[in-house]
Amino acid sequence: MKFGLFYEISVPRPWGRETEKTVYDNCLEQVALADTLGFDQVWAVEHHFLEEYSHCPAPELFLTACAMKTKKMRVGHGIVVCVPEFNHPIKIAERTAVLDILSGGRLEVGTGRSATWTELGGFRASPDETKKTWDEFVHCLPNMWTQERYSYQGRSWSMPQRTIVPKPYQKPHPPLWVAVTSPGTEVDAAERGMGSLGLTFGGFAEQDEKVKRYRKIIRNCTPVGKFVNENVSTVNFLYCHEDDAEGVKIGKRMTNTFNYLASQLLAAREAYPSKSYPSLGLLPALRQDASGPGDASGAPEGIAIGNPARLVRELKKWEACGVDRVNFLLNALESIPQEKVLDSLRIFAKEVMPHFQGASDSAAAAGGR
Amino acid sequence: MPPRYGNLNTADWAKAAATINGYKTEPWLLKGAQILSINIEIDDDPADNLIPRTMHPSIPSYAIFNVTHYPESPAGAFSIAEVRIAGRTGVRPRGFVLRSFCDSEDARRELGARWGFPVAPAEVKIDLRHDRIVAHVIADGRSALDCELVDRDVIAGNDIQYIASMHLARNKEDGKLVLVQVDPEFVFAKAERGKPRILHLDNNAWGAGDNLRLGNPISATFTVADVTMPKIRYICNPDVPAMQGTTKVAA
Repeated sequence: MKFGLFYEISVPRPWGRETEKTVYDNCLEQVALADTLGFDQVWAVEHHFLEEYSHCPAPELFLTACAMKTKKMRVGHGIVVCVPEFNHPIKIAERTAVLDILSGGRLEVGTGRSATWTELGGFRASPDETKKTWDEFVHCLPNMWTQERYSYQGRSWSMPQRTIVPKPYQKPHPPLWVAVTSPGTEVDAAERGMGSLGLTFGGFAEQDEKVKRYRKIIRNCTPVGKFVNENVSTVNFLYCHEDDAEGVKIGKRMTNTFNYLASQLLAAREAYPSKSYPSLGLLPALRQDASGPGDASGAPEGIAIGNPARLVRELKKWEACGVDRVNFLLNALESIPQEKVLDSLRIFAKEVMPHFQGASDSAAAAGGR
Repeated sequence: MPPRYGNLNTADWAKAAATINGYKTEPWLLKGAQILSINIEIDDDPADNLIPRTMHPSIPSYAIFNVTHYPESPAGAFSIAEVRIAGRTGVRPRGFVLRSFCDSEDARRELGARWGFPVAPAEVKIDLRHDRIVAHVIADGRSALDCELVDRDVIAGNDIQYIASMHLARNKEDGKLVLVQVDPEFVFAKAERGKPRILHLDNNAWGAGDNLRLGNPISATFTVADVTMPKIRYICNPDVPAMQGTTKVAA
């Protein structure tokens, strides 16, 4: 199992001139430290208009800065919105290729379609269309990356023959992922030979079932890319402290803050009934599971907050479900002071990572043991 | 920009509040309701003046225009129109009811006493046409609302998500001003979606003044459903955030 970071970049009100800069600086400091500690990857969302919750509309810029500050960590779009009103597919192909070059071939490309009316309405995109445009985009991207001359006549977009440059540094191209939020999207990922980038926690039983379904279907997939990326990733919170009660207490402050922020947004399904959005998407699932039933400590099941022993125990359960990677949210609205976040990363690398094959190799190489 | 929450002056707003006869309301099953619901974005900052401090505005703010015909009820057939401002109590989506209008005196009395509907008399009509659903509300001889759903398109009932309401009401038992959560259950027999249009809106009829500024249209739905008006389960102190001022009054 490998471990990474996952950034929404939430910015607390009141917003002064320095507020957003401070938050971005803090994130970059965390990423630089994580690289030295043996964390494997850093992901950043693409969100628009989600005030306080996420001030991260240009992840490619943030990830470029991450790439410049790190040597080994992979950098991941988590995700790029595959809706033409948000991103033209040519621009996606070009931007990702440049980021892959600048990072020395460390790019992972997550794809998705947005789950909020806040964003879809802001770009005047129809919720009925997003699943279709996502599908079209992910079938185009690998060809745009690999064919010297490219032309396309499709349903949501088209282009005459041109040479799309540059090409990605990784050959044949960076690994492709799908954001899995709605039930059944793991099937979409598997059928297309793409990684399953889980953005909900889900219970262990649900995750176990999803992973089994994914692994079974991907064996007979028709890959959209030039290779199959069979990997299952999930997202989680992280706050690790030597004292379990303190870790749970501070960690819950973060999860509760995140949950409160997420709930203020307008889910596509709430505003605009559509079969394209059978669930409320990322946000409610994160909320529900992060505040769900736990043990007497108050730590919800499966959430990585508490002392190292607790974290090893919970993460082993995810590993047993077949999860390959766990990406962690480290803060929400700066509710945890930066020094505590950095300490949490250090303790995690020293006392939790060595219990996991793959992660321990990275940690050892980075001197985390 | 400071943290956001509702700024409604609840003491002023309470002048139009209903008096509720305690919280031991028994459910009503209302069969075959015809429900027109229209979601429209509204300007954020003035909208904050239309929800109590209990609530955080949704991002973005939006208003819900509901017009419903109930062909049968314990109070007889009636039609009711409401304008609600969407927000959140804690982490839950809720719509604060500005005003409602109803065409039946018996229904007005029961709705106010049982669930705290802030309800006034008006003529309320829904017309079902093949190309559109049209609704009119006429209060004191003047149009309070004309709205419609156009380009009717069939969707599945389980795609619909109606959010619960919050009613500012005074409890007859202790005289306290409270926000009453009213969360009906719906069993859908039919559901349609179309384009929303507000043809006329008299802001003053709904008590909104200049604070209700219509923006980007979102969606309109028309459903036929069996509606269960619920037991009252939660009440909130209207002047503190929901996380601090919510009381459970029934299982």
